Amino acid sequence: MVLEATMICIDNSEWMRNGDYSPTRFQAQADAVNLICGAKTQSNPENTVGVLTMAGKGVRVLVTPTSDLGKILACMHGLEIGGEMNLTAGIQVAQLALKHRQNKKQQQRIIVFAGSPIKYDKKTLEAIGRKLKKNSVSLDIVDFGESDDGKPEKLEALLAAVNNNDSSHIVHVPPGPNALSDVLISTPVFTGDGDGGSGFAAAAAAAAAGGLSGFDFGVDPNIDPELALALRVSMEEERARQEAAAKKAAEDAAKQEKGGEQASSSHDATMAEPNSSSVPAVDDKRHNLTDDEAALLEQALAMSMDDPKSTNVAVADTDMSEATADDHELALALQMSVQDNAKDSPTQSEMSKVLEDQSFVSSILNSLPGVDPNDPSVKDLLASLQGQSESQQKQNEDKQEMRRISK
Amino acid sequence: MASVVSAAMPRSQVDLVDFVDWSGVECLNQSTSHSLDNALKQGYRDDDGLHLESDADEQLLIYIPFTQVIKLHSVIIKGPEEEGPKTVKLFANKEHMGFSNANDYVPSDSIALSPENLKGTPVNLKYVKFQSVRSLTIFIEDNQGGNDISKIQKIVLCGTTVDTTNMKDLKKIEEH
Repeated sequence: MVLEATMICIDNSEWMRNGDYSPTRFQAQADAVNLICGAKTQSNPENTVGVLTMAGKGVRVLVTPTSDLGKILACMHGLEIGGEMNLTAGIQVAQLALKHRQNKKQQQRIIVFAGSPIKYDKKTLEAIGRKLKKNSVSLDIVDFGESDDGKPEKLEALLAAVNNNDSSHIVHVPPGPNALSDVLISTPVFTGDGDGGSGFAAAAAAAAAGGLSGFDFGVDPNIDPELALALRVSMEEERARQEAAAKKAAEDAAKQEKGGEQASSSHDATMAEPNSSSVPAVDDKRHNLTDDEAALLEQALAMSMDDPKSTNVAVADTDMSEATADDHELALALQMSVQDNAKDSPTQSEMSKVLEDQSFVSSILNSLPGVDPNDPSVKDLLASLQGQSESQQKQNEDKQEMRRISK
Repeated sequence: MASVVSAAMPRSQVDLVDFVDWSGVECLNQSTSHSLDNALKQGYRDDDGLHLESDADEQLLIYIPFTQVIKLHSVIIKGPEEEGPKTVKLFANKEHMGFSNANDYVPSDSIALSPENLKGTPVNLKYVKFQSVRSLTIFIEDNQGGNDISKIQKIVLCGTTVDTTNMKDLKKIEEH
């Protein structure tokens, strides 16, 4: 959103009649100019843009820096092609036009479209570049059209002389099927420096990139924003519901294991929710259901069809698990007391079955902050869990099978 | 250092750095890593490791607006022997000057710094020309050694205020 006054220098020399950019070089240039003016005025309403032509009878300022987009677009009509481009004079006149801008607080920028061959030598261009730098004018160069030997190097030298802190850019556009404006949209010429540019530029880029490549549900957010939004919101709601169920399962598992660790994993789950809701690429999240989450999810579903006794225990334990977030000894004590209470609970076996899976448990532990798997107390706990679960496993396995079949 | 020339400020003059309107301070052709703050701001300017440096060539154009009207009596400009400034032109109350018109206007005062001055001796200005100064433009035209880069370690402006109202200090009258 930089406050900027921009002068665009258009090349309307004979070389612009060529058709290697569709429809003609000049038309492609005019489209690019229109887009740039729109982007600049949209990114900051106080920005001003002016246009001048470099070829023809001589350098001619078509419109002095103004924020009136209509005026700029109007002056692009009826331009004649002819003559030879005078780059140095064009830049100097642009500099003068910027110097007399009304709002002195605006940064000065010149955008040059260099389509014809450059007849000046490097030294002259570098001198001009230094003068621009001295007066803190940034320069953007669009190198297209003719590419005789030395032109890219000359323009790069000019850029190097002007460039101050990466505020100036150069874009080389080779001839091809892509329109000049499409190529420019993704460059810093359009997007500005650093701040990521205007919504206009982003939207134009999205439209230009085309197709379903970037879009989540096969719906172009630009064509149908409400539909895209509705799809995204419903997706997130569904995922939030699933994560809440998973979180509940995780909290139940906590009463068997260290209360603290599970509280932090539930914290992770809650943190993941706001994170994911802010990320528009919902598709990716779908595939992020890891094995852990899948296992937890299964448990949650199985549990929700279980007897209410287990859920009461789970509710009672949620508070305690959060309280023991950082205290391993307390967690141990808590767990032992809980184990005594819930010994006959069928859910315990399911939990322990999951917990048996050493790899699953250690992967949870590794992913939790503040838990060191090599901590002796953690190791003791795991060992005790293993021993306890084995004894109950056989009994409860049959029970589980029967329950699942009956649902 | 053998003898540090103490910048004894003339009687009743104050260091005007407190009255500089920092939001409007500009410097053309300064190098990004060595900016004007190094020479002007309290603390930075006394650090010998920090200095103001020019970028594309040896000229510098510094624009300093003030929060209130001041009278400028003298300046102290410190810099290295070779790259320190030589010809310095001062313009009072000229806004938005550029290098192209720096030589078009008659300066309020033009000073040629000697190596003595570069060590910290104050330079007295034509006081009558700086009686009500809202903004000061300092144009450094060349340096002692004719190098491509000019370096300045410290700029101190000495003078007095004319006791104009600083709008920011205006407070609402309490209703009783």
